[in-house]
Amino acid sequence: MFAVAVILFAALFAAATAWSLGAVLLRKLAIKLYRVEERLLAFLVGSACLSAILFVLAALRWVHRGVLIALGVLAIGYAFSTGAYRSKGARFPPLPPVWKWAFVAAFAAFTYFYLFNALAPEVSPDGMAYHLGEVAKYSRAHGFVRITTNIYANLSQGVELIYLFAFAFGKHSAAALVHFTFLLAVTFLIVSYGRRIGHPQVGSAAAIFFYASPVIGLDGTIAYIDVALAAVVFGLFYLLQIWDQDREARLLVPIGILTGFAFAVKYTAFLAVPYALGFILWKQWRARRPWFRPALATAGLALIFIAPWLVKNWIWVENPFSPFANRLFPNPYVHVSFEEDYRRSEQTYGMTDLRQIPRQLTVKGEYVQGFYGPLFLLTPLALLALRHRAGRQLWLAAVIFGLPYYANVGARFLIPAAPFVSLALALTFVKATDLLFLLMLAHAVSCWPSVAKRYCAPSAWRLYETPVEAALRIEPEEKFLSRRSPQYNETMLINRLVPPGERVFSFGQMTDAYTSHEIIVGFQGAFNEVLRDILWTPLFSSYQSTRLLTFRFPARQLTAVRAVQTQHAKDVQWGIAELRVSSSGTELPRQPLWRLRAHPNPWDVQMAFDNTPVTRWRSWQVAAPGMFVQLDFGSSQVIDTVTLESADEGYQTKVKLEGRDAQGQWTTLSQQPVETEHPTQVNLRQGAAAELKARGIRYFIVEKTDFRSDDFQMYSALWGIKCIGTWNSSAYLYHIE
Amino acid sequence: MHRILPVALLILLSACERYPDSYPPPEQRHPSEEKNAGYSMVVEMSDPGVEWRLVKDIYPPLEGVPWRWTGTQPTVRILAARTDHLKLMADFSLWPTAFKQTGAVELTFDVNGHALDKIRYTSPGDKHFERPIPPDWLMTDVESIVSIHLDKLYTAPEDGKKFGFILSRIGFVD
Repeated sequence: MFAVAVILFAALFAAATAWSLGAVLLRKLAIKLYRVEERLLAFLVGSACLSAILFVLAALRWVHRGVLIALGVLAIGYAFSTGAYRSKGARFPPLPPVWKWAFVAAFAAFTYFYLFNALAPEVSPDGMAYHLGEVAKYSRAHGFVRITTNIYANLSQGVELIYLFAFAFGKHSAAALVHFTFLLAVTFLIVSYGRRIGHPQVGSAAAIFFYASPVIGLDGTIAYIDVALAAVVFGLFYLLQIWDQDREARLLVPIGILTGFAFAVKYTAFLAVPYALGFILWKQWRARRPWFRPALATAGLALIFIAPWLVKNWIWVENPFSPFANRLFPNPYVHVSFEEDYRRSEQTYGMTDLRQIPRQLTVKGEYVQGFYGPLFLLTPLALLALRHRAGRQLWLAAVIFGLPYYANVGARFLIPAAPFVSLALALTFVKATDLLFLLMLAHAVSCWPSVAKRYCAPSAWRLYETPVEAALRIEPEEKFLSRRSPQYNETMLINRLVPPGERVFSFGQMTDAYTSHEIIVGFQGAFNEVLRDILWTPLFSSYQSTRLLTFRFPARQLTAVRAVQTQHAKDVQWGIAELRVSSSGTELPRQPLWRLRAHPNPWDVQMAFDNTPVTRWRSWQVAAPGMFVQLDFGSSQVIDTVTLESADEGYQTKVKLEGRDAQGQWTTLSQQPVETEHPTQVNLRQGAAAELKARGIRYFIVEKTDFRSDDFQMYSALWGIKCIGTWNSSAYLYHIE
Repeated sequence: MHRILPVALLILLSACERYPDSYPPPEQRHPSEEKNAGYSMVVEMSDPGVEWRLVKDIYPPLEGVPWRWTGTQPTVRILAARTDHLKLMADFSLWPTAFKQTGAVELTFDVNGHALDKIRYTSPGDKHFERPIPPDWLMTDVESIVSIHLDKLYTAPEDGKKFGFILSRIGFVD
């Protein structure tokens, strides 16, 4: 139970520190709010401030428990000493008793269910892999560490920094509880909004619509960030609505802070910037009031919360918007092809017919990773709320913060829009409160796990048990995690058998949050993708350099040659495993004086000149005219043949050869290479394993579900690897000998 | 402010990593020197861990013998460590008692769907088969499927069970 007390302390300490910072700020600004509003918005604004402070501490590597305790005690102590914790705001009129007790009953039931799930050991896939995986790394290093092999480390991590605060004391579950705090905050803020607009029943019903939804309950009780984002953008909306009523300039401070913090929580919430600025500009313009200063103040404050993340990425991975915008900011850490493939896959989640989405989002949930409950089949009716001013405002925010859904059809991506849709739906029934009451109860009942399982898909991602024993650590944490997560067991295998400091390659995500080893996941970075490419080359003939393009031309004195792509491919990259230069039938040995260049992806050009068929330079984007691989001889050489060895993906591409003479003039040497096929005649496995070793990877783990996983097990002698451990015969850990 | 900005920009710029404009050739690899040590391309029927290499028509082992009875088309999968200069090899035996029933039998040796050879055996006893395999029939990324098709089976008079021949080993050799 001591462990549970520590976890609860850590989460409460983080939340209290955030709240105190916000309370002090709101008090200093002397903004007039209702009591409950002040408390809830203080938590959100304070979270932004705490996150920004932690960014500075993490950049300085000062994230030590002592520093965090000092920060927390200072913030809480100051809030108490100045009386900021005592709200001066008025109370809302009380809810009608029936509504109050119905709300309390539904809320209490789900809170019991959620609280134990949040308190249980963190077992969510992305929470274990990267939300807390990165937090664990920062915690060990007492601040940021430069991570170039995990795209997720480049995303903004505003909420993860608050998790870092809690994690320092209470580890994983404390972070999940912090997220749960955001869930509570946004739920009560929805109630509060209903009361502010004079329809308390609407607020209560909408809060239950939101709170009871299975995907929201799930997300809000694990160390994800979507519900926190919903809280932040709803807080922003709320403040903007208040500002619209009284145009109090001081409100622009928390508005600016939450605008920037939304981006700091998640890139997709960059929409908060045009939303907030557009709102302010429009309202000021319509009222014939000055618009420049309010907009500038809001933008300036937002920038304070946005810029650190951009600068961090710019310095560390040469792309402020990493892992996106890689065409605009070419860098060696994230491939353009990754970004494009990722976008494509997130737009469908494997669904062949996107007309499935409404049913998936409301009742089924297996493809879109969660569902909101059948009540939301009524969402079209919520358009009737447009007849109210509040309804129009809600729909505007819902549409704006729902826009990222077009890029990612996962149910989670609608969570930021869910508070607005819930309120709009409840507002539709404002004149029929009895019906609204029934809808609230029906939604609560339909979302209760034992009821939801009757209609949702069996594999739909949702909370399905109340893990009281695990939450209270009566069931040991390791046992619970082992029971719930195969990847946790695989990570424990790594912890047991791999020496400290060794990096481990894996084709799929592991649970980084539970290991100090760096896990290099095959798709999570450019370096990782190269490793995966190398390991797959012996296994797939389509990866092998079986296509030979031989350019023959009359012997010429040249200082450089380059192979230039002339074709727009439909969907394949261009690659060269080896570029060889010959004269009179003899290959020119590669000289230290030679200089190699390529465009794009200049960083991998050496792989076309290393004399191994298991590595290759690749464009890592669809082949297009103008791409080239160039070899400078450093002096004049007489040559008459250039040979390109490449994989069959090159059949969609066309290449010409250019040469540079002593005067520096480039001319086309040949556009018509002789094309021949040379099937691979040797085993490439050992060479591939050796290349991994040469790149500092001596261990890798293969899950049974990975492509060609059996090959590593059956032909370990050919790979030159040794299986050093297995978990449940579903994952094998190998050492490269 | 006018002092802070240039300093901040300088810090930013100094933090940016500069990549070389070009690269020298890397260390040259020598992939042809791979030894493939410890890997055998021959499937030994006496090997206790052989099951995963058997595809069909090879019966479970009998106690204490290093060979196995086959059905009509014993088939194994073998990963070629290289493709050139390899021969298909098989050691097997035609049981005299069965031979009395079937008479001369014809065996077709097949690699990846290509008939490598067809031989008519007119006498029982131990047999050894070995033939070069064209390199383009083989690949190193996936396993090759190797089978021997027998035209006539022996039927045991006691229980009616059908048997082919006695297989000891089959695989690729230099």
